[in-house]
Amino acid sequence: MNTKMKTISIGMAMVLTTLMTAACAQKESGGGSAAGGKKAALDFVWFSDGNEGALMKGIIEEYEAKNTNVDINMIEVPYKDLSTKLKTMISGGKPPALARISTSELGAFANQAVDLGETNGGLDAYTGQFVDSLKPFYVVNNKAVAAPMDVTANGLIYNKTLFDKAGVKVPTSPDAVWTWDEFSAALKQVMDKGGAKYGLVWDYTPQRWSTLLYQFGGSLMSADGTKAAINNEAGVQAAEFFKKLHTDGIAPTSVWLGGENPNNLFRSGTVAAHLAGNWMISNYKDISNFEWGVTYMPKAKQRSSVPGGKFAMAFKKSGVEKEAADFINYITTKEVNAKYTREALFLSPRKDNAKLDYAFGKEMMEVFSNELNSTAPAAAEDWSKQTIVPKFSNDLKKALSEIVGGKTPAQEGLDEVAGLIDKAISEDKK
Amino acid sequence: MAVPASALKARRVRKPGQTKTWIPYLFVLPNLLIFTTFIVIPMVIGFIYSFHEYDGLNPMEFVGFGNYTEIFANDEFWSALARTALYALIVVPAICCLSLAVAMMLIQPIRCKGLFRSIFYWPTMISYIIVGLTWKWIFGDFGVFNYLMTLLGMEPLHFLSDSFYANVSVIIATIWSRLGFYMVIFMAGLQAIPNDYYEAARLDGASKPRVFLTITLPLLKPTTVLVVMLTLIEAFKAYPLLFALTGGGPGQDTTYIVQYIYETGFAKQELGMASAMSVILFVLISMFTALQFKLSKGGSD
Repeated sequence: MNTKMKTISIGMAMVLTTLMTAACAQKESGGGSAAGGKKAALDFVWFSDGNEGALMKGIIEEYEAKNTNVDINMIEVPYKDLSTKLKTMISGGKPPALARISTSELGAFANQAVDLGETNGGLDAYTGQFVDSLKPFYVVNNKAVAAPMDVTANGLIYNKTLFDKAGVKVPTSPDAVWTWDEFSAALKQVMDKGGAKYGLVWDYTPQRWSTLLYQFGGSLMSADGTKAAINNEAGVQAAEFFKKLHTDGIAPTSVWLGGENPNNLFRSGTVAAHLAGNWMISNYKDISNFEWGVTYMPKAKQRSSVPGGKFAMAFKKSGVEKEAADFINYITTKEVNAKYTREALFLSPRKDNAKLDYAFGKEMMEVFSNELNSTAPAAAEDWSKQTIVPKFSNDLKKALSEIVGGKTPAQEGLDEVAGLIDKAISEDKK
Repeated sequence: MAVPASALKARRVRKPGQTKTWIPYLFVLPNLLIFTTFIVIPMVIGFIYSFHEYDGLNPMEFVGFGNYTEIFANDEFWSALARTALYALIVVPAICCLSLAVAMMLIQPIRCKGLFRSIFYWPTMISYIIVGLTWKWIFGDFGVFNYLMTLLGMEPLHFLSDSFYANVSVIIATIWSRLGFYMVIFMAGLQAIPNDYYEAARLDGASKPRVFLTITLPLLKPTTVLVVMLTLIEAFKAYPLLFALTGGGPGQDTTYIVQYIYETGFAKQELGMASAMSVILFVLISMFTALQFKLSKGGSD
């Protein structure tokens, strides 16, 4: 080997060693304002469903202009990578200052979160600002582990062009909603006379399916949270009715069995209705090949939606906990939250922002808001148990697919899920 | 003839028995560092996790062989493993036979040989996710294939929402995406066989099947062993393509072992259990590899 090659080899090894040392090295502390008057650097892990990322960047710029000692760095990740990203950062000893998270992650990260109630005049004073249905989600062990940024509800979006063509009128008042049988008949009419290829697409998630469960009077777990309740009569009825929607040809099997994207199907203009969340208003805003709207969901035994939301969480051991909590307080103020939710077409979680002047779809947002107000208490109780729900939600989704596909009877499929729920509850108690 | 002293200095000859110094290790060092950091250390950590209950965030709790005991009683794990084995049983011979057939065809002096080779090879350059999405657009209920079928007046088929067709779709997409890669390996193996054997066989009047069975196949054994080993390991590790194409459905009908492990670790937040499952899969794959090496004597003949 000549000298040149030796030099290259040594050089390569040194570069690699340096890079790896740098990658594994301890990053300098976040350096809050306490750290020698330097700017506090806040990493904000963020995911976007629509335009809210751009909106938040604007809000951050305004905040930084008013608080020159703070520098907020938005780290954008796809939603599916959020949990892994946060786990990697936290278990690596470098938690971010802040993160936007949904109900699915709240439970998992609750132990790592800063108690926002403690620094804001106590738990009751803090939670009193936000709608009560969200409280079970973000209050864990009497601590406010996050702050609600927007509240979501499930509801019914319909293709107005197809309904008009079929001569079917949708309910215009919450006092005159369809029953599920009436709605099924209406959808068949839209298919026959309006030319819809399918009547209804339903998001492939157990949360969205549970809308039907609560409407049939069921719940995932008992009211005291000590045992599974999904396999009782109401649960089985909900699962069998869901299967019937597919076997009757009203709902396409391609979504729950083939993983077809319901958004794309609805956008094609060949589907009469989509059972989804209020965030779809923003998503469907650009549809121009047909008219669409939002109407009240049908009822079974009762009316119900499923509440959810997106939250801001501040993490312990970030070194900038105080600055992070201050920023969360800023973005959840009446004015800033109103601007954020109005422009992103979200529902505000603040009680004093109940009526916002949306530039688009104001009446649609009011329908979703009404669905939220008509929600069975069991819905929030169930889905707020986020240390238990992830242990069985994927199995519930697959069990429902097998029920829809006729591979498993509803009772048998739900009994299996109930077993998993009971196991998750007993493990959670340890 | 006397060698000039300057030439001797420039061309230092190593004496017999002289030990190599640190230079060879330096060559290995970059790969060793990367291999240790990203493969060995995570593997050891994963092995440690497998004896703990761990959600990735809260403190680990030592459970001994608890995770392993639970896995042996977990029907879903074994179902996923059985589905994977069946998938491998179909995909491995299919890829081997088809890639060998295509390789034999494309080493012949035919027109547009380069173009045909490219057509078979291009899919291997596409990421699995894109391959999955592409076939989803083709096989979806509202996809291209069903559209063409309805244009021809035929009833659409539920490729991705029917258990049997979903598995068939997965197999077709896998073969399509991997065939070109193994075709290249077989082409290299075929071109390494001396032409003299074929000429002698032709002079002796041997038929084409006879030539294939007595000359090509035996001389191609090391290549075939390599291809079988690689396809088998790939089949047991299959995940991104299937996830993009079927998402593991309908129900769990195309949920193979790696997806099942992923879901246990990241959807159910049971990293300890998922690590134990990974250790079992690692042991299984190691056993296959060792068995194949033994049967083929390391592919040496």
